[in-house]
Amino acid sequence: MSFVTVVFRGLIRRRTRTTLTLLGISIGIAAVVALVGLSRGLNKSWAAGMRARGTDVVVSNMTSSLVPKPFNATVRDRIAHLPHIAATCSLLVDLMSVENTEMIMVSGREWGGFTWANLKLISGRMPNDAQEKAVVLGRTAADVLKKKVGDPIQIETAELKVVGIVDGNAWVENGSVILSLPLLQEITDDQDRINVIDVRLTPGTSRADVQSLCEQINQLVPEARAIVASENLNQSEISRIVGAMSWSTSLLAVLVGVLGVMNTMLMNVFERTPEICVLLALGWKRRRIVELVLWESAILGLLGGIIGVFIGVAGVRLLGATPSIRGLLEPDIGIRLLAVSVAIAILVGVVSGLYPAWRSSRVTPSQALHG
Amino acid sequence: MLKIIHLCGLCGLAVNRSVSVFSLLFSLLLSSSGAELSPKELASAVAAKQEGDAYIRLRLQVKPTGSAADETLQIQIKERRTKTATDLVYQVLWPQPRKGESVLLHQEAGRPASGSLFTPPDKVQTLTASQLRQPFFDSDLSYLDVIEDPLSWESQTITGTEVVNGVNCTVLESKPNKGESEYAKVRSWIDPNRLVQMRIEKYSPSGEVKMRIETSRVSNDDKGRPIPANLIVQDPKNGSVTELDGSRIKHNVTFSDSEFSSEGLKQVSAPTAAAE
Repeated sequence: MSFVTVVFRGLIRRRTRTTLTLLGISIGIAAVVALVGLSRGLNKSWAAGMRARGTDVVVSNMTSSLVPKPFNATVRDRIAHLPHIAATCSLLVDLMSVENTEMIMVSGREWGGFTWANLKLISGRMPNDAQEKAVVLGRTAADVLKKKVGDPIQIETAELKVVGIVDGNAWVENGSVILSLPLLQEITDDQDRINVIDVRLTPGTSRADVQSLCEQINQLVPEARAIVASENLNQSEISRIVGAMSWSTSLLAVLVGVLGVMNTMLMNVFERTPEICVLLALGWKRRRIVELVLWESAILGLLGGIIGVFIGVAGVRLLGATPSIRGLLEPDIGIRLLAVSVAIAILVGVVSGLYPAWRSSRVTPSQALHG
Repeated sequence: MLKIIHLCGLCGLAVNRSVSVFSLLFSLLLSSSGAELSPKELASAVAAKQEGDAYIRLRLQVKPTGSAADETLQIQIKERRTKTATDLVYQVLWPQPRKGESVLLHQEAGRPASGSLFTPPDKVQTLTASQLRQPFFDSDLSYLDVIEDPLSWESQTITGTEVVNGVNCTVLESKPNKGESEYAKVRSWIDPNRLVQMRIEKYSPSGEVKMRIETSRVSNDDKGRPIPANLIVQDPKNGSVTELDGSRIKHNVTFSDSEFSSEGLKQVSAPTAAAE
């Protein structure tokens, strides 16, 4: 009987117990995939939105809330003349409950600003001017709100008209209701207030120049903070909290998995004491017995990891389709995350097997005689 | 912050639990400050947070029992509260067929409430005492539930402490004077540190719970004060649920007197100017 056969025989000996243990690890790994994927998706979606808008630097006051705090619109004029700035675009962005939705991104954009340029019309047209009581909807937003071109849309007290459906090349853009800045300021009674300035830099601006520009802006306008667009959300408190919560919850789930595998392997060792004794009597070295137990627990981890990855991916897809999330964030489940998750599962298996393996190494052939 | 937690259910669960644990520890550390308040002081402190003018936007979702479909309304509220009187205007913004439906409620301290209902295009109806007990926009609340403020009642007693959603709360029992309310008593589970009502139960004279209101989300308002942002109203008898999800609140808004009149009900408009 080969070493591999003994390993697999050990695992299938108690099928129900092995299946339940696999399930325990799988759920832990699924939690890792789902939670970390969602929290990374938050950052990725934001960065993709920034890229799609052609924004290099974001000036905002991103505190503990998801939506930046408003500041005076004149801030834009105070920074627009700085070196390396090719263009600026003022925005007022808010998360609102619109009609039947619990929450949707509503983005008021400076009329004629460069952030309109990335929007590709799928149907209808763009608003005629800043005053027209009209919006365009990102395609996901249109789907979520169940709107088509020509439909009315109620935002706060204002009844507007959907004049176009657009593709914004990014999840965040596609999940937004987009209208002119003055119109949203009027609707929300936030005249002369904005909460984001998108800055586009002149081509060829070096990384050092970007950092220097951010420092200059931060000195000029203490009420807001300039951050390189791709890092904007990463540096926010909300992103850090969500990331920390995701990892800590995942680790707790993994810890439960560790205990599950350890319990299974310990039971396995106790039940197989006579078998281990026979193997020792047949000339197996103690090191080989330890390897046997560790291989069994590592395989449990591997299988649990693979199943967990599938459950996690399916769970994230399911979560992504729920009305609360749809259109707001795109989960980021890359090959790297999946590979790390499986690696964690194998590590869980090996770590969980250490104590049972040590116990197995202390068995003596004479114990077989005592039953 | 809290909104994004809703984005990921599992993550939200974790955050909520962690927040609850921290809140509990925090509450235990600071519970002595809340315990020092007398029942009337506690009631007044909670009520004081509601005083002044405010503009509120909320989403009201009625979830009836059985096969009936949920109904969602977008509503704006204009409220003017002083120590002696309360004026409230509720106006439906959406759905379109109900847009403009408005209710004006008024109550002076120790006096019965009064109200008017406007149904577009031009029907204004004064609500009688019995009509004020009817459901408010088909929800589990009545018009009186909306205007009535048990914290202003004369009889206030602290009956103990209890943990609600991980928060150590002081239980305040409010009893109305004869004829002041259809309820025999109202119990409020108040977080003494944040001065937020985490749960409210309204009892019939027979001692039966007629209504339970749970605060499922607490957010800071525009003045940075914690307020209930999401309320779940349950009618234990028929099992229906009404959810009120506040999305925006502005204080120091300027209202004209006409906005709290029958004529004002006919205009669906946000406050014209906000004093910063």
